Amino acid sequence: MQPGSIERQIERHLLKVEKPGRYVGGEYNSVVKDWARADVKVALAFPDIYDLGMSNLGIMNLYHQVNRRDDMLAERVFSPWLDMETVMRQAEIPLYSLENKRPIRDFDLLGISLPYEQLYTNAINMLDLAGLPIMSRDRDERYPLVIAGGHACYNPEPMADFIDAFVIGEGEEIIVEIAQTLGRLRGQSRHEQLRHIARIQGMYVPRFYDVEYHADGTARAVTPNQPGIPARVLKRIVLTLPKPFTKFIVPNIDTVHNRAPIEIMRGCTRGCRFCHAGMVTRPVRERPVAEIMAAIDEIVRYTGFEEISLLSLSSSDYVWVEELAEEVNRVYKDAGLSLSLPSLRIESASADLLEKIGGTRRSGFTFAPEAATEKMRDLINKYVPDDQVIQTARDVYSRGWRTIKFYFMIGHPDETLDDVQAIIDLCGRTLREGTKILGKKATLNVGVSTFIPKPHTPFQWVPQDTRESVEQKQAMLKRQMRRGGMHLRWNTYDDSEFEGWLSRGDRRLARVIRRAWELGCKFDAWQDQHKHARWRQAFAESGIDPDFYNFRERGLDEVFPWDHIDVGLRKKFLQEDYLMSIRRETRVDCRDKCFACGILPKFAKERSTTDDLAWECPPVTPISQRRRARQVEIPLHAIG
Amino acid sequence: MTHLSPVAQRLRITFGKAGTLRYTSNLDMAKIWERVLRRADLPLLYTRGFNTRPRISLAMPLPLGISSECELLDISLRERLDFCEASLRARLLAVSPPGLSILAIEEVAPRSSAMQSRIISAEYRIHFHDRPERADLQGKIDELLGKESIIVERTRRRKRSVMDVRPLILSLQIDDNADLLAHLSVGDRGNLRPDHLLELLGMDDTYNRIHRSRLHLLAE
Repeated sequence: MQPGSIERQIERHLLKVEKPGRYVGGEYNSVVKDWARADVKVALAFPDIYDLGMSNLGIMNLYHQVNRRDDMLAERVFSPWLDMETVMRQAEIPLYSLENKRPIRDFDLLGISLPYEQLYTNAINMLDLAGLPIMSRDRDERYPLVIAGGHACYNPEPMADFIDAFVIGEGEEIIVEIAQTLGRLRGQSRHEQLRHIARIQGMYVPRFYDVEYHADGTARAVTPNQPGIPARVLKRIVLTLPKPFTKFIVPNIDTVHNRAPIEIMRGCTRGCRFCHAGMVTRPVRERPVAEIMAAIDEIVRYTGFEEISLLSLSSSDYVWVEELAEEVNRVYKDAGLSLSLPSLRIESASADLLEKIGGTRRSGFTFAPEAATEKMRDLINKYVPDDQVIQTARDVYSRGWRTIKFYFMIGHPDETLDDVQAIIDLCGRTLREGTKILGKKATLNVGVSTFIPKPHTPFQWVPQDTRESVEQKQAMLKRQMRRGGMHLRWNTYDDSEFEGWLSRGDRRLARVIRRAWELGCKFDAWQDQHKHARWRQAFAESGIDPDFYNFRERGLDEVFPWDHIDVGLRKKFLQEDYLMSIRRETRVDCRDKCFACGILPKFAKERSTTDDLAWECPPVTPISQRRRARQVEIPLHAIG
Repeated sequence: MTHLSPVAQRLRITFGKAGTLRYTSNLDMAKIWERVLRRADLPLLYTRGFNTRPRISLAMPLPLGISSECELLDISLRERLDFCEASLRARLLAVSPPGLSILAIEEVAPRSSAMQSRIISAEYRIHFHDRPERADLQGKIDELLGKESIIVERTRRRKRSVMDVRPLILSLQIDDNADLLAHLSVGDRGNLRPDHLLELLGMDDTYNRIHRSRLHLLAE
């Protein structure tokens, strides 16, 4: 296809579609390189619309890592919304990149971001719109290599038939290695290219692994079918967080999170048992305050964004959070800048923090108590006493915030209606505190999501709550929580059931996903687009029982389809934690006591090269120096 | 900002919008300007309140898809800026997205009357990619202009009304490239958008490109 021809083709149609600015690029800070001069060309895809994809920090990071090199280029591509897809299919316009407006087929590498499972059908749809065969086996070296990464890929199996190779873990460094490898192997067969890709630590090439099943449908073993392929793929990590990316693309149209994010910390030491992110992003690595301050300064100068959010899984646990708030307050107090610090712990100090950091603009207050009874709090290992919730709410309301947002989760194992009633009661008490202070202006927004057991967590063994049970609990919530000042949000059971299927799915689900897509399923993350009946039809036509994935209590010795993906945690550790939850036993923050999750021995060599303060895990001294540094205590169970 | 800061200086920026920036709506354009001005580090005056914003205003909404060389933006500064037009233009341009051009910057009285209410008409150039027969186009124009009144039904804020848009067409001409030059009323006293004009001409299905070339303001 001639350069410029896609631009001319789309121009005829753009004013007929909603928000045409999604499809034209041209934003400040977007990088349009000379196509002919880049040796390796990478397309970075987020399989949802521009408005959402532009808020994805992962994509931006990779964009930067590739584009800062002279020999490579990276360009973005997002899913066209339904109206634009119709136009593109009718006019036979292939999926194209926003920068040079080149067909995706012309790239060497297509990297698809899969942070959550609901994007799977969109990912396939993008392959199809790009004119690529959707099955990995049907694409040879004439097509771009299709890789995927992101949190959903810690269980890559449901998408294994569509994706050539998965990035397991953190992509910042690996993306360049993959691109370089591809550049070196240009002209070689896809098989040969993949053999080399599979040797990069953190890369998983599904076609080099065979899965055997027991008669009951559970996995027996996943084994490499090629020499030189690792039996388990250990996730890739960066030893210290690379300097934060600051030259964000400034969209020309409004987007969902129209602001710049800075990751202040990666990982979490809390050990909430339901939390996938908390398990797979270990070890905890923090950024120095000075680096964050420099990044804020750069973002203001490079982008002009008026909002910056400081991201982490648990901001209150960021060691220097007080110092950071002080600094931000000192420098940006009157700068017309709004900083948000989500994921704060429920404690009075949080109100202080947000007050300092909020500057001249104020964002909302969001807390996640998750559960409202002692029993459930112990079970999920997230303990926040009622009094603390109430006291914090009082503090927040009395400082003039009118709205607090709470997140709860229902559907955990052994949850009863009493536990759900306790959520309602706690919310009632909280709002009453607000009303005492602010009268009718006080509001409480409550999001109640349904728990979905995730792979690589202590709850990977448990069955998901049934429709009947969840809908009964939701009916209770709806009956009692829709009243003055309180706003309730929840997930439909269809959405939760669907997420459950894919979360702990196996390779056989490819048939179902493909069929669902053929039946018109896409934009499954959009509640009004998700077509649950068609997914059920796809299961039925594929002869696969969906309940097998959601409602089975998995045996302690069961081999999971994702066991060959090594996130650094010992399965034994997860199992212990699961059994502890049954006994209502809790574990403290692992900064106070190391529970030997497995991360440290897995990355002991790497840890010995990092600064003591760089990780929250205890330091590991290289063996050569160990004698001299006896005073450094290494918990024996942590390296054993 | 504990007290209401006075406007130290007001600047009027004439800018152009072209290329992919045509697909940015007027509302989003305001956001783009906020960020350009912040990147240029001008001493912006902010509104008060929880959601503080710079005090800037765009003169006349430009419908989506239309390019322009005559857009107006007023910005209020909290301290005076002794500027040289050329260097300030360069400073803004250096931090502007592709498609945004800075054409002129002038100082206006801090309390000058709202610019919006003074804009009375706009000139547009409409280029047809599939060039129409000149005589054919002229015929359509003559027919339209020959009418005494053109009554159209409009829905605005859920209220239906009928109005005569004939007086809103100030002139229609064809230039040497067979482009249509239209001078139309804009603003509160009567507004006719160029895409509506094309509908009236029965040419809304054509593949065209519309450019706003001039705004006419009432003298202050």
